[in-house]
Amino acid sequence: MERILGHTISDFIKAIKQNGGIINSIKVLHRMDAIKLGKLVGQDEFGNKYYENNNNFVCRNRWVVYNEQLSLNYDASQVPPEWHGWLHYKTDLLPHQDPSRKKYKWMIKHTPNYSGTELSYVPYSTVKPKIEPWNPKK
Amino acid sequence: MLRSLWNHNIQHGLKLIPHNTVIIKSCQNLLLEHIKLLATKSITPESTEKSVQKKIPKQPFSPFQNTSSNFEYALARLDDLISWGRSTSMWPITFGLACCAVEMMHMAAPRYDMDRYGVVFRAAPKQTDVLIVAGTVTNKMAPPLRRTYDQMLDPKFVISMGSCANGGGYYHYSYSVLRGCDRIIPVDIYVPGCPPTAEALLYGVLQLQKKVRRMKLALIWYRQ
Repeated sequence: MERILGHTISDFIKAIKQNGGIINSIKVLHRMDAIKLGKLVGQDEFGNKYYENNNNFVCRNRWVVYNEQLSLNYDASQVPPEWHGWLHYKTDLLPHQDPSRKKYKWMIKHTPNYSGTELSYVPYSTVKPKIEPWNPKK
Repeated sequence: MLRSLWNHNIQHGLKLIPHNTVIIKSCQNLLLEHIKLLATKSITPESTEKSVQKKIPKQPFSPFQNTSSNFEYALARLDDLISWGRSTSMWPITFGLACCAVEMMHMAAPRYDMDRYGVVFRAAPKQTDVLIVAGTVTNKMAPPLRRTYDQMLDPKFVISMGSCANGGGYYHYSYSVLRGCDRIIPVDIYVPGCPPTAEALLYGVLQLQKKVRRMKLALIWYRQ
């Protein structure tokens, strides 16, 4: 119950307001198992929103709300690397506040995990097969 | 050391050291400016919000959207119901064989808390859906692994956890180790790592849930 209520009832009411009313909060609860109150600190190129609330414990004070278009098909691999470091406490600097982030031409665009979809990687061999099928007609 | 007192060249070199450090210090500003040039563009919530929302199409809950008739539509929803029930109550059997089993225990512990996804360890093969092969499968352990898999009821899924279970791993060339548990049982999800973290295993479980949600038993039965 503490997870939903937060610290006080006023925070709870604020959280419900932030999540867009009672009905929307129930939807959020269904999607994310928690209604959280926090400050929006940024958004990445995929539309995932990042929040922070330092009243919570470390490991619970930074979180991501995945793009709403994805509904329940969200996945941890959809977080791009520039936000991964902040989300996992490797750095306290947000991607747009950190001057030491490199951006080269050869850096490829982040892709989520495509396993199980048509875009999934299939290994192939460039070596001649060691076993040759027997053709009886020859 | 002593020679440096008389050797003029070395003394001259020593005198240059503080001079050189000044040069390095003055370079730092240039380096910082160069780094700032390379830095990422500033990302503000307002600038990207509208452009991004249009790019990604809305993804429905069910993967079965293209149904040709009303009856197929009903069967697709039945499939959704079945897969929802299956994917939200995946009960694995504890098949810990090596150090991977410790990470499997971590997944069950409160920090990663697999119970919130409906994943509960059961001891009997008859009560379980998932077999998590955690660790090195030796030749001696191979028949019990296969027997455990055979005792499980359909539908059954296998998560191969760690490089030993995936393909022998460190013990690939050992005389007594099975080179991957997929030589004796069909594997659904391979979790890489030696050992994989509890997070990785939990991610594997979530991937398996996704796989289960794509199963269309009723539709296949109808089409046959």
